[in-house]
Amino acid sequence: MSQWFESAIVRAEQVNDWLSPVRAEALQTLKRASWPTRKTEAWKYLSLRRLEKSEFAQQQESAQITPEIIEGLDSLDLTFVDGQLVDLPADLPAGLSIVSLQNATDSVKQWAGEIIGDIKPERHLFGLINDTLAQHGVIIDVAEGVSVERPIRISYMSSEGSEAHTRVLVRVASNASVTVIEQAQNKHNSLHTSVAEYAIHEQAELTHYGLMMGGGAAMHVAGMHFRLAQQATLNSHLVGFGSELNRLDVDVQHRGEQADANINAVYLLRDAEVFDLHSTIEHEVPHCTTDENVRGIVADRSKAVFNGRIHIHRDAQKTLAELNNKNLLLSREAQINTKPELEIYADDVKCAHGATVAEIDKKALYYLQSRGISREQALVMLNFGFINALVDEMPHSALAEWLRPILRNRFASMDVQ
Amino acid sequence: MLKINQLSASVEDKTILKGLNLEVKPGEVHAIMGPNGAGKSTLGYVLSGRDGYEVEGGSAELDGSDLLELEPEERARKGLFLAFQYPVEIPGVSNMEFMKAAVDAALEARGEEALSSAEFLKRAKQACKQVQLPLEFLKRGVNEGFSGGEKKRNEIMQMLLLEPKLAILDESDSGLDIDALKVVADGVNSQRDGQRSFIVVTHYQRLLDYIEPDYVHVLSDGKIVKSGDASLAKELEAQGYAWLQGYEDKNGAEEPVA
Repeated sequence: MSQWFESAIVRAEQVNDWLSPVRAEALQTLKRASWPTRKTEAWKYLSLRRLEKSEFAQQQESAQITPEIIEGLDSLDLTFVDGQLVDLPADLPAGLSIVSLQNATDSVKQWAGEIIGDIKPERHLFGLINDTLAQHGVIIDVAEGVSVERPIRISYMSSEGSEAHTRVLVRVASNASVTVIEQAQNKHNSLHTSVAEYAIHEQAELTHYGLMMGGGAAMHVAGMHFRLAQQATLNSHLVGFGSELNRLDVDVQHRGEQADANINAVYLLRDAEVFDLHSTIEHEVPHCTTDENVRGIVADRSKAVFNGRIHIHRDAQKTLAELNNKNLLLSREAQINTKPELEIYADDVKCAHGATVAEIDKKALYYLQSRGISREQALVMLNFGFINALVDEMPHSALAEWLRPILRNRFASMDVQ
Repeated sequence: MLKINQLSASVEDKTILKGLNLEVKPGEVHAIMGPNGAGKSTLGYVLSGRDGYEVEGGSAELDGSDLLELEPEERARKGLFLAFQYPVEIPGVSNMEFMKAAVDAALEARGEEALSSAEFLKRAKQACKQVQLPLEFLKRGVNEGFSGGEKKRNEIMQMLLLEPKLAILDESDSGLDIDALKVVADGVNSQRDGQRSFIVVTHYQRLLDYIEPDYVHVLSDGKIVKSGDASLAKELEAQGYAWLQGYEDKNGAEEPVA
C-alpha cells in the first residue's frame, strides 16, 4: 500500500468548497480503489514505487518561477506555480471569459458544476485524486460564434519538493473556436496531477497542444479529456519527454454525429525517461472520424508506453477511424510497449490500426552519407525527420519553430547504437 | 583521376565484379554499357561505399587516395558523386535541409567558406530552375512523393550544387521521357569544364546522343570486355549485347529508341 495514497485520502476529507458534491463522490470511489501495482493493466509498464513513499510540502510560498518565453507566440498566459494560479491575463477579447476555480460566480458554478468531473472517465485513479484535491484551477468559456485568435497558454510549473493538483475546464460554445496550449514545465522533484476537461459544442473547433515537457525527478500525471458534440472538431498535438514519471491519459468522446478528432503525438526519450500515453477514443454515434498518429523515438535506457484504444459502439455506423503508432528504437536497452486496440461493435465502419517498431532505415542513411553528410549528422536528420513530419502539422508556426531546435538538440545528444 | 585496378566485389556472397579495370582522366566522359546483371550498378555502389557490398580484391583510387578504405561520406567529400538509379524517399527531412548539410560538408572538405543561408538559397533556386523542378520541391521531404523523373532530376540538381570531381550517373536515363532526358543531359553538359569527369552508366545508347562520351566500355559478367569510342555505343545499339559473349538477350536491350 502507498503511504502517499493514504495521506492523500486523509487530506481529501478536509477539502470543503463549492465542488464538495463532486469531491465527495470521487472520494467514495477512491476509498474503494486499490493502489496500482504491476498487475494493474493501466499501470503495467509504469512504476509508481517512487511516489509511494514520497512526502511533499503541502502549503508553501509560491516559488518565483516564470514560464519559458516562446518567441513569436502572442498568447494569453495562465500560469500555475506549485498548483497556485499566479497569473491570469487581463484584457480578454470579447466573448472569452477566464475565471479561477475559487472566484467562480454563481452562474459559472451552475454550468461548470454540471460537467466538471463528468467529461473525465471515472476509471482514472489520479483523475479521482485530482477531483478530491484540486483546489486551484481555471474555467475558460468561449461564447457562441466567437473565434479567439490569440492562443491561451496554460503553464504548469513546480518547485522542489512540491505537490500540486490543478484543474482546467474549457467550454467552447457552438460555432466558436479557440486554441489552448497546456504546457508542463515541471523540472524538479515534485508531484503534479493535472486534469483538463473540454466540452466542444456543435460546430465548434478546438486546437489543442499538450506539451508534457518535464525534467528529471518531476512526476506528472495528466489527464486531457474531450467531449465532442455534433460537427465539432478537435485537433490535438501532444509531445512528451523529459522526466522519469510522465503519464498522460487522453480521452475523446464522440457524442454528436460528424465530429472529427485528429491527434498527433510524439515522444522522444533518452537517459532513464519514461513517458506513458494512454488514449481512449469512444465512438458513440455514427459518422464520426478519428485520425490518431503517434510517433516516438526511444534511446539509452528510456521507456515509452503507448496504449491506444478505439472503441466503436454498436450505433456508431459509418465511423472512420485510424490509429497508427510508429517507433524508432535507438538502443538495445531502450524499451517500447505499444498496444493499439480496436474494439468494434458496429458492422459498417472503416477502421485501421497498426504499430511498428523499427531501427533507422539503412538505405536512407547511406543516401545521406553518399552526399557527404556524416553518419552522426545523418542519424540526427533521419530521427528528426521522423518526428518532424508531425511537428510540421502544428498550425501555430511559432510553437513549431520553438519546438524544433529543442527536439533537434535532444536527438543530437542521443547515443545511437 | 580515377584508377580502378582488378576490382572484385560481392553482394550477399555472390561475386558480381570480377577484376574490373578502368581509368578515368580529368575532363573525360566514360560511358559504361552492358546487359542487366553485368554489375553496372554494383560498380557505383562499391565505389560510393554502400553497406553490404564487399570488396574481395583490387583497388580504386581517386586522385591518389584509396577510396575503398573510406566511409561513404568521406568518399563524397573527396569529390565522388553517385546519381542513384533509385533515389531514396525521406519524409520529414526537407530537400533544403538535406542539400544545405551536403553542400556545407563539401565546401568544408574543399577548404572553402560555408555559404550563408541566403546565398545557399539563391544557388539552390538556380539549380532547381536548371533542372526544371518547381521551387516548392526544395521545401518538400527528400524525394517524398516525387515521380520517377522528378527524382532523377533531383539527383542532377544535387550534382549541380555539390560540384563533384567525378560523377557517376547510374541509369539516370531510365524511365525518362525525351524532355526529361534532355534536362538530365543538359545538367551534365553544363558541368563539363575540362576538369570534371563523368561515368555514365546506361543500358541504352539514347542518353549518349545528348551526352557525348569520350570512351564507351562494355561491362559484361563483372568485367570490361570491350572499350572503344562513341561509335561502339551505336554498334551496341544496332546489334545488342548478344554478339559479345553469346549473351542471350532476355532483357530487351534491342528495343528501338523511343
